[in-house]
Amino acid sequence: MHLIVLGLNHNTAPLDIREKLFISDEAAAGLLGELKAAGAGEAAVISTCNRTEVYVTGADRAASGRTVMDALAGRFGSADSLFAYTYLLSDEEAYRHLFLVASGLDSMVIGEPQILGQVKDAYRSASGSGAAGPFLDKVFNRAFQVAKRVRTETRIGYNPVSISAMAVELARKIFGDLQRKQILVVGAGEMCEIALKHFRKEGLGEVLVTNRTFGAAQQLAEQIIGTAHPFEAMADLLVRVDMVLSSTGSERPIIDKPTVMDAMKKRKRRPLFFIDIAVPRDVEPAVNDIGNVYLYDIDDLKELSQAHLSNRIEESRKAHAIVDEEVRKFSLWLGRLDMNPVIARIRERLDAIRDKELKKTLQKLKGADAETVRQLDLLTRSIVNKIVHPHLAALKEDGSPAVLELIKQLLLGEEDEKEVGDRDEGE
Amino acid sequence: MNIAWVLYTALGLYLVSAFCYLGSLRAGRTGFETAGRYFLVLGFLVHLFALVLRYFIAGYTPITNLHESLSFFALCMAGFFIFLRHAYKVESLGALFVPVLALMLVAALAAPAAIRPLPPVLRSYWLPIHTVFAFIGNAVFFSGFLVSIVYLFIERAIKKKRIRDVSGRFPSLETLDRINYKCMSYGFPLLTIGIITGSIWAEMAWGSYWSWDPKETWSLITWLMYAILIHNRLAIGWRGRKTAYMMIAAFVSVVVTFIGVNLFIGGLHAYI
Repeated sequence: MHLIVLGLNHNTAPLDIREKLFISDEAAAGLLGELKAAGAGEAAVISTCNRTEVYVTGADRAASGRTVMDALAGRFGSADSLFAYTYLLSDEEAYRHLFLVASGLDSMVIGEPQILGQVKDAYRSASGSGAAGPFLDKVFNRAFQVAKRVRTETRIGYNPVSISAMAVELARKIFGDLQRKQILVVGAGEMCEIALKHFRKEGLGEVLVTNRTFGAAQQLAEQIIGTAHPFEAMADLLVRVDMVLSSTGSERPIIDKPTVMDAMKKRKRRPLFFIDIAVPRDVEPAVNDIGNVYLYDIDDLKELSQAHLSNRIEESRKAHAIVDEEVRKFSLWLGRLDMNPVIARIRERLDAIRDKELKKTLQKLKGADAETVRQLDLLTRSIVNKIVHPHLAALKEDGSPAVLELIKQLLLGEEDEKEVGDRDEGE
Repeated sequence: MNIAWVLYTALGLYLVSAFCYLGSLRAGRTGFETAGRYFLVLGFLVHLFALVLRYFIAGYTPITNLHESLSFFALCMAGFFIFLRHAYKVESLGALFVPVLALMLVAALAAPAAIRPLPPVLRSYWLPIHTVFAFIGNAVFFSGFLVSIVYLFIERAIKKKRIRDVSGRFPSLETLDRINYKCMSYGFPLLTIGIITGSIWAEMAWGSYWSWDPKETWSLITWLMYAILIHNRLAIGWRGRKTAYMMIAAFVSVVVTFIGVNLFIGGLHAYI
């Protein structure tokens, strides 16, 4: 059983490619179904604004990789163009990658905690739909443990400069005091709420909420103590507010340049600050070209907050060491899981031999008293244990296939080996 | 030569203040800023004392030659910055203002400082009225010019997403823009009064309110530029970059009026 991961992240692909390959929750369910139909083993999809990754298990690494690539290419264009942006990792490399991702070490902002929740969600929906099976259960659960360990044993996640804090910092650079500034929240994402909390600390004026479905806007407005406004009033809202915090699930930009230019004229060119934390972006990038308009998308914010982090190299090194150690432990543990049937078989076989020989001897020793029989039983058992122990210890120490093979040959003999081998494959 | 020593003392205090402000920009400690502020106020008081001293020794308002003009201008700048700092909490701008005004005082000290008998045409009670208004107005405009440069610098950094280049201690764009507006709306009436008093004085001295000499012409151009600036801000809502560029352009006109005319063009105002 092999694990492979095929994916792309902020290091390998620019935002517009990531936008194209972003897989929403519903789309992920569809993709998992497709993979199953194409003959892939267990599967899970992680898709955030910084990464899209597909984890699958299979007997043949190359074939699994091809299956995933075909499925992605089928959705997002030709496979050739995708190759340039993706990475394909397998087995230990794949475990390591997942551990790094879950620990926030592969994030744009190193150590940021949100990603763990996103990985958990991805795993939950994969196992909910039945796509993730026992193997992915093991890998993901271990990844969560590793993430926890990294968090508790290093200071990598300690007080990271979050993108929300960064957005507030920028707003302060533009407006100074945020006491009476009005903010428009577009969309009802969780990110919006987190960011808004940071802004609230600065003491905002009115918070206006809008959404394509007015009901959702009303709900959020109630929740965060704001006023709900119809989506169609956007042009007027842009005249009223000072900041726009946008995070909708829209596939295309919902705020374009002409709208903003119009609003700027009406608002007598008072500065307007757009914080676009949606992927794909909600605000047309060209909006930033308008005078007195400042547009920051999620990449801008993350890069800035990254630049603000200092002295994290040492912590990052520690965290990577933890991940490496955990990968080793996990591989060993997986190997041991593989060996368990073999070990049981060895014990069974040796016990059978002992039993047979003991019976023969006892037949010859007619009239032996109970104590002698007990002592003989102990003796033989102890001999078998003494002989088998170093072998099993060697197996546990180094569970590589070569050692496994050798020990099988030594202790089980050829016929038995075949038998066990058949059984293994049948599993 | 005791006036010169008083001025040197003021310069020393300004320089210490400038180093404190620059240091606070680097170190990010508020202790430096506080020290910078005290030294600046101290320097301002000593500078003011030197002015008063010169007034009594010379017997006229000492704004008649290059040395006196630059020194008085530096004094106005120091005073206006102390006001700005107090009103807008823009301590960090001291790192720009104080070195600049200290340099001005250095230039003043480099110019011939001897007290000479006043030319007859300047012997008038209009001398202090006209020059003080004109100079304070110009100092305010110069402050607007400096603030505009800072504004453009920070605005660019935010727009181009290179904000990490800029120290987080500089004032916000909105504050800078507001100061800019204050500079034009304080400077404009001062300039207007300067022009009106000058024209009354001209009528009394030369017998004509307006004789289109280069200084008068340029001050009119300057006046028009600031008038347009204020109008556009109030009517069309000009602000931010455009205002900052225009403030810089208008101040170039101030410089031409103040120095250029005297040095290169000549005319009735060429006393310096």
